[in-house]
Amino acid sequence: MGYSRVHANVREYDVFARKARVEPLRQVGSVVAPDDHLAMAYARATYDEERWVEMMIVPKDAVIRLWGPGESES
Amino acid sequence: MRYAEWCIAAPSLEADIAAAAMGLDDIGHSRVLYGSLRELGTPDGPDEGSYANVPYLDRPWTDWTQFVGANAVLDSAFSLMIEALVNGNVEVLRSRLRKMLQEERYHYLHGRSWMREANAAPAVERAWGEALEWFGPESGDVDGFKREGKLAYGVRDLRRMLQERVGDKLPETAIDWTKWDGTRRRSVPGGIDQATLEMLQGLAEKRYMPTSG
Repeated sequence: MGYSRVHANVREYDVFARKARVEPLRQVGSVVAPDDHLAMAYARATYDEERWVEMMIVPKDAVIRLWGPGESES
Repeated sequence: MRYAEWCIAAPSLEADIAAAAMGLDDIGHSRVLYGSLRELGTPDGPDEGSYANVPYLDRPWTDWTQFVGANAVLDSAFSLMIEALVNGNVEVLRSRLRKMLQEERYHYLHGRSWMREANAAPAVERAWGEALEWFGPESGDVDGFKREGKLAYGVRDLRRMLQERVGDKLPETAIDWTKWDGTRRRSVPGGIDQATLEMLQGLAEKRYMPTSG
């Protein structure tokens, strides 16, 4: 991703949030941090601008992407 | 205020934003605390020279590790005292201060992670010593408030819990309580630098206000 960071090892996390219980979780952005706890602090600091009832982070490298319709394996 | 000074100087963009956000949180906490004190009948003091801040906050920090020391240790000490009030028997404080603890959880995560990342041992040790001074001596006012039920924790509890939160091996700190100022909760004289004091008192903003008449 071309990040220039002070931390030697960082992970990128996607940030998801919902404004109300009845709403689905939406991806609101991402943060980069060396560990889960700092990523939590960064996500809350960065995406707290709007009211939210639930926020969660997922390491990007933990997301498993499926092949799209018609997409070849290569 | 010291957090806010790092909102464009921290080591990463995320840390910049976190510094700004935590600074805003703490300004909000100050407002709630002052409001609660007023409601409890504590008179407003004359501002100049009466700030009871720890010496750590007297001057702007020149190194990120100083930010980390304050964030990991002093902010945690503050949170513990708030927790002691929330679990105490003063109803105004029990109800008003609870939200602070929810926000402070993120300050703690930030400080603890950065303590692992940055080589901040000297700053952490200094902050630790000043946090102990801020808690005060055993059998002092804090322990008195614990006996009255206003605080849920006494000095020994606070020290132990802070040690657990910081996690690192911290040095035995000998404090000369004969030099300790019980009002300002510190042993050394001095105070906040003039420029910051003017910002805190709103004088800096007044310079930009249109003159009346």
